[in-house]
Amino acid sequence: MIQIGENTLMLLRRISTHLHKFMSLPAILLFAFFFIYPLTQGIGISLTDSNGIKAASFIGLDNFVTFFHDDRAMNDVKNTVLFALGSAPLLNLFGFLYALLLDRQFKGKSIVRTIVYLPAVISPLIMGYIWYFILQPERGFLYHMLNQLHLVFLSGDWLGDSSSALKVLVLVNVWQYVGITMVVYLAGLQSIPKEIYEQGKIDGASYFASLRYITIPMLYPSIKINIVTNIIGSLSVFDVILALTDGGPGYSTESLSIYILRMLYGSFTGYSTAVALILFAIIIIPVYVFLRVTKSKEYEM
Amino acid sequence: MKLTNHISKYVIVFIMALLSIIPFYVLLYLALNPPSRTMFDGFNLLPDFHFQNFSSAWKSSKLGNAIINSLIITVGAVLTIVLVSSTAGYSIARFKNKWNSAIYSTLLLCMMIPAIIITVPLYTLMKNIHGINSHWAMILLLATNSLPLAIFLYTSFIKALPREIEESAIMDGCTYFSAFWRITFHFLKPVTASVVIISGLSIWNNYGQAVFFLQSQSMRTVPLAINMFFQSYGAQWNLMAAAAVIGVSPAVITFLVFQKYFIKGITAGAVKG
Repeated sequence: MIQIGENTLMLLRRISTHLHKFMSLPAILLFAFFFIYPLTQGIGISLTDSNGIKAASFIGLDNFVTFFHDDRAMNDVKNTVLFALGSAPLLNLFGFLYALLLDRQFKGKSIVRTIVYLPAVISPLIMGYIWYFILQPERGFLYHMLNQLHLVFLSGDWLGDSSSALKVLVLVNVWQYVGITMVVYLAGLQSIPKEIYEQGKIDGASYFASLRYITIPMLYPSIKINIVTNIIGSLSVFDVILALTDGGPGYSTESLSIYILRMLYGSFTGYSTAVALILFAIIIIPVYVFLRVTKSKEYEM
Repeated sequence: MKLTNHISKYVIVFIMALLSIIPFYVLLYLALNPPSRTMFDGFNLLPDFHFQNFSSAWKSSKLGNAIINSLIITVGAVLTIVLVSSTAGYSIARFKNKWNSAIYSTLLLCMMIPAIIITVPLYTLMKNIHGINSHWAMILLLATNSLPLAIFLYTSFIKALPREIEESAIMDGCTYFSAFWRITFHFLKPVTASVVIISGLSIWNNYGQAVFFLQSQSMRTVPLAINMFFQSYGAQWNLMAAAAVIGVSPAVITFLVFQKYFIKGITAGAVKG
């Protein structure tokens, strides 16, 4: 038996009463080590001409200047923004409509909810390969179905055609993640007390009136979460594109994050880190503006 | 009128479910056909139930090893996330001070930073700590990636829990620390289920980091193994599909087991936030 002195016991007790003050310490340590520290290093690297091997020299903001003079980079900014402009609103619209429908009482409700969420469970890479098979011209599942229905004139080489490839990617992305958006809206819908709707009915509110004046305002927290996560997710889109078109045809579907990866593989380490910081700026600006604009709305309600 | 309403509701819901499930059907169809039959034929939508594909795909893609790697990394990282983010969420939600709110806003800001930004410096860091091709470093790294969202969910959930559940224990001489483990932690089950699903799936499916930090063949995770398979096997759709079915099934099964807690946890975690 180890004898513990009165003083040691007192000390242990004192430590244990203050232990809760250190409860976030493990999280902070992990985060500082694996995120904040590399992030600050990255800011340093972005100011150099590093290629990952030889000693890098400081070149100031040259990488950022190069970026804005690079046609391919500007094309990728355009693709990224177009992808997000398609994806984020469609995800929110369909996620909301899906949630409204699946919030109602009917048989098999929870099965349908699970099925709609299921695509999000699969790695986007594998999903990309499946869609590639579905969309292949003259061989794919979609072509076959259209052929059987005598609608073959509707088919085309959607992924191989630079005018449609980006649109297809938007639709695949919406298809895959509509379940996540829906779940957050469903959660919001379920937290609205039913009495409010009953009161609305007594006051003679139509379905659309209660949607406009009760549901949407009460869903504010869900709307906020969904819009912010969809902006972030679609501006940093990466694996859906990698698996389906690899940025092609040409550079017509290359997004900024794919460009960053290419530059990284091409040993333009300093430059790719600089582009990554620009991508962060492109993400944070709309998110900040959105949160600012909606903040004033919050007080009105 | 009411009946047509009812029918149209079911038709719409049926179309929704169909849209989501078609790619899974296509995947299974391919996985169950012999190599000679990868094309669809007529309205015959049933595959040939050619189960040999699974065993040949299993052998040639070395999926067994990849599944073990993925399991070790996912379970390790999810355990780390639950322990670390529930305690952090508790301290942020219960003890309001400048320090805790600074941590919270930093985490929320960092949720917006795409992981690709830190790839280069992270590579140097991982090399220096001998973390390339190792389970433990991948566990800690992937756990860190999921921390912001997990802490956000836990914090919102704990804020919505009444303080009274801990207070009586503290009156009885419990410390805040032990009150958390003995009492509060048990109330966190729904949000823990959501955290397990959300972070577990993103870790199981992680490709972006794995491709950089798990380069040796013996360390490959499921997404890496399947991707290699797709790149090296050209047009053998049936084998590739069989490998994909095997690779996604642990994730799908886990999701189906936990999904009934899922919406509950999201409701309490995200929406009350």
